[in-house]
Amino acid sequence: MNLLDPILLSLRVAGLATVITAVLGLFLAARLNATRSRPGRILAGGLESVILAPMVFPPTMTGYLLLLLLGPNGPVGSLWGASGGLLFSWLAAVIASVVVSLPLMYQSAKTALTSVDPHCIAAARTLGASERRIFWKITVPLAWPGIAGGMALAFARAIGEFGATLMVAGNIPGATQTIPLALYSAVESGNTHAANLLLGITVALSFAIVIVVRWSERRTAASRAHRLAGGGSR
Amino acid sequence: MIQATCTRQLPEYMLDVSLSVAPGETLVIQGESGAGKTSLLECIAGLAAPDCGTIIINQVTVWSSQDRINLSPQERAAGFVFQDTALFPHMSARENVSFAVTAGYRRRHETVPQKKAVAALAQQEFERLGIAHLAHARPRMLSGGERQRLALARALAAQPSVLLLDEPFSALDRKTREEMWRIVRELKTGTRLSLVLVTHDHEEAQVLADRILQIDRGLIHDDA
Repeated sequence: MNLLDPILLSLRVAGLATVITAVLGLFLAARLNATRSRPGRILAGGLESVILAPMVFPPTMTGYLLLLLLGPNGPVGSLWGASGGLLFSWLAAVIASVVVSLPLMYQSAKTALTSVDPHCIAAARTLGASERRIFWKITVPLAWPGIAGGMALAFARAIGEFGATLMVAGNIPGATQTIPLALYSAVESGNTHAANLLLGITVALSFAIVIVVRWSERRTAASRAHRLAGGGSR
Repeated sequence: MIQATCTRQLPEYMLDVSLSVAPGETLVIQGESGAGKTSLLECIAGLAAPDCGTIIINQVTVWSSQDRINLSPQERAAGFVFQDTALFPHMSARENVSFAVTAGYRRRHETVPQKKAVAALAQQEFERLGIAHLAHARPRMLSGGERQRLALARALAAQPSVLLLDEPFSALDRKTREEMWRIVRELKTGTRLSLVLVTHDHEEAQVLADRILQIDRGLIHDDA
């Protein structure tokens, strides 16, 4: 059994999914968080429910929904013509990973953005800085530990994704077989050696991710404590 | 110059004030905690919206409920110094001031200033406030007095048309507070910058004010 292919594919799928999720999650968290009007808040609440739904949905259900959307007759899949081009490709695995990891990124980004000292934002406004400049120069750097933690969680969720990926991308060795799918196949075929190796790699990756998440939590907690104590920046 | 007549419903009472500050004048607003002092400054700066009224800064109507005018804080050019300084903790002192120089320049000219010009203007503010030696320090490494000087330098670097100070010296020890009073008095010399200082310190009001207003539960009681 070739183990390099699923490892490289998993890193490619999870890496791309994390980048997309980070951009999308940060954008959505910033936009929905800034909504002030009553109709806007109601709309934001509805959209937030849709974003968070995959967190409570069984992954196979999410996969089935994606199958309906991305299939040749689905609203998204039909744009690719009758070939059903998106399904059973590594891009389908990326889409599945984005959908299931977006809630984690969104929640982390939202928490990180709301923890930024509002006086820093207000000060930047009175200095005359544009909202865009404030977002990139003040908000994102101050929220960065939380955003980085969200990205780590999103990467972890993407690399461990199984159910939804199996539904939309299948389990094609060398094409769509990621680490969890390869592990499943190895166990099913009694290839304990391959299964153990994949397990070891996953554990090592998980530890690295946990270290990043804990670092980001410590940084966020430290900056919050520093702010509440009224020292440094405040 | 500031002319403000506004009302705003606060959690416990109604803020209902009318005041004017002449060019170059320092108006001190005194009152107990929760009297509505900060809310008033926030309304002038555009950080909070009054329910009703008119606010004019340097002949420009920045807020009018009648004419439905509501300029953003960015457009008002009202410098604001917060009690807690609100310095950007991830930036050095120089970066804090340079950020303000750039933002202020863009507001006035709608173009990006050259790096050399930003550095020169930032240096000018550092020297004016006597903190040039702290340019590379992060805010958390500074003392309370140094942080307030930096906050003042940052607010001035954006070249505001009016300056609003929200109890900026209340957390400082007496010696540092007196030093800050001296700096504010020096800053005022030869400028036509209108200044509104909120404080509950009677001595501070006496030292810095051209005029003192008392505010209590949202209402101005006396103009001494």
